[in-house]
Amino acid sequence: MVLSQRQKEELNKAIADYLSSNGYISSLAEFQKEASLPSELDKKYAGLLEKKWTSVIRLQKKVMDLEAKLSEAEKEFNAGGPTRDKRSPTEWIPRPPERYSLSGHRSPVTRIVFHPVFSVMVSASEDATIRIWDYETGDYERTLKGHTDSVQDVAFDHTGKLLASCSADMTIKIWDFQGFECLKNLYGHDHNVSSVSFMPSGDFIVSSSRDKTIKMWEVGTGYCVKTFTGHREWVRMVKVYHDGSLLASCSNDQTVRVWVVATKECKLELREHEHVVECIAWAPELAHPAIAEAAGNDVKRGGRSGPFLASGSRDKTIKIWDISTGLCLFTLVGHDNWVRGLLFHPGGKFLLSASDDKTLRIWDIKNRRNHKTLEAHQHFCTSLDMHKTSPYVISGSVDQTVKVWECR
Amino acid sequence: MRINTVPMNPAAVPQPVEDVQGDDRWMSQHHRFLAEIKEKEPEVVFIGDSLIRNLSLTQLWKQMFEPLHCLNLGIGGDQTQNVLWRVLNGELEEISPKVIVLLVGTNNYDHTAEQVTDGILEIVHVIQSKQPQAQVIVTGIPPRGEKPNPLREKIIKINGSLAEECENLQNVTFLNVDPSLFVNQSTGLISATDMYDYLHLTQAGYQKLSDSLLEEIQNLLQEFIKVENTSIITESIEGDLPNEK
Repeated sequence: MVLSQRQKEELNKAIADYLSSNGYISSLAEFQKEASLPSELDKKYAGLLEKKWTSVIRLQKKVMDLEAKLSEAEKEFNAGGPTRDKRSPTEWIPRPPERYSLSGHRSPVTRIVFHPVFSVMVSASEDATIRIWDYETGDYERTLKGHTDSVQDVAFDHTGKLLASCSADMTIKIWDFQGFECLKNLYGHDHNVSSVSFMPSGDFIVSSSRDKTIKMWEVGTGYCVKTFTGHREWVRMVKVYHDGSLLASCSNDQTVRVWVVATKECKLELREHEHVVECIAWAPELAHPAIAEAAGNDVKRGGRSGPFLASGSRDKTIKIWDISTGLCLFTLVGHDNWVRGLLFHPGGKFLLSASDDKTLRIWDIKNRRNHKTLEAHQHFCTSLDMHKTSPYVISGSVDQTVKVWECR
Repeated sequence: MRINTVPMNPAAVPQPVEDVQGDDRWMSQHHRFLAEIKEKEPEVVFIGDSLIRNLSLTQLWKQMFEPLHCLNLGIGGDQTQNVLWRVLNGELEEISPKVIVLLVGTNNYDHTAEQVTDGILEIVHVIQSKQPQAQVIVTGIPPRGEKPNPLREKIIKINGSLAEECENLQNVTFLNVDPSLFVNQSTGLISATDMYDYLHLTQAGYQKLSDSLLEEIQNLLQEFIKVENTSIITESIEGDLPNEK
């Protein structure tokens, strides 16, 4: 590579500065002589060589990012973006730009979920409120007030008649979603309650807390009926397997655990993440073929049968686990920051994730590939949900907004 | 264990700021920090005076620092004994950051260079006892005043002793702020483009300070978050690179 005269001079000056600032005084004198440089060092070149040295790595990374983005954009441009009626719902994925960006929360949005029946969604926020929105019109409907600290999670039962919420105020509340009244307060956790979920029957709720425990509560009486202990730190999330027999949880102790509901026994401890595990999602049965194929096995020939679980971590990766063997099948790498939300596409072909790199990503499970990236928010994306039947994805962020994305 | 040889050093005795103006803002900020540390789980904590605080108002902070999960606990006007009081009164509880950045001392107008140095080292000592897993970056105090003045000399002295003392401390890095970064070498003047009031930094001033600071933080975190700017564009390659946002 040939440098211009001017570049050469600049490089020489930068080398001289490097020699001087590292105390290679005799080399410096010799170099100045040979390169016929003035003995006075130009301050403009202080640290320049070191800077160039490190900037190469950064530029390379940036180039890679840009190239990936460009190829994505080219593809979208050439394909012209498919129309929804030409695609089956199993192929629907969210497309930019967002249909609505809804503001109202006064602090970061912590969780966002669809109602299972009506055309509404519910958001939870660090501003201690829960807001209800119509995702088809973008209208704000109402606010549920009652918690006295950050609301961490919200969940519906399968009928959509009951909403459960949990908070840093250490309580869980059950709300009647017809009269919008708080029916019950569940007391028992000794610290921030981070996640809440209904059992499939709707008679019980499970919750996880910074007090290191997972608790099961009877909805009818409000009593705590079971406590699962074993995690060594803050339990971030708990999710119920669709038949109600297993729970999965993840924690600041960097593990994912699987529990047998009937016996409270910890059946598995999955340790491979290198940082706090933020989120988990059980794979629906429709996703099993894609997962098995990605893992290199054929289900039909008596290969892997699941259940399968996905976990997202602050180590920026997503891992897919086979719960029958306790093995990590594969790891999805691509996010540039903490992974905060995970969700299987109802069609079973894709996995969706939300991250502190401000993007939502759609992963093609079968090919273990980042299929699409949406620059979704101004700040960390904390949560996402996808409607089971309608073509919508919703996301929440530290930028205090809730966004509705249409799928095609 | 460090033994404080000057027990009555006012810069090293924890002290809340007296509410002379009567609006209790200092205590409000302290309480807000206590609420924030409960909510956030920062990987990097910045603590100090206005030079720390105002960094969070810059575009740089949004682009470069926020993605690293930084939390800013700077309060304008704080002296070493005030920061010392804060770290002893809850601001380092319940969190477990990997890196803590400390920049304080420029407001200790009434104290000698030795007293200020000891005050800063005392804060480092408390930080290390409360957060033994954290790497501490002690940032040198930037020069101040448009023209050469005794404070600049004092600051050079403080920075010199800090550099020496930090050498001997485990998990502590001293980040030198070379006066030549801000002081014109031929005229001895500090430009208002870097320091609008010859003390507080402008966006351009923070850019100068942040280059090495970011480098250090990311090295300690052992990760490079997607970085949006690259280093300086020099004359010879000007035009070859597309302008970055």
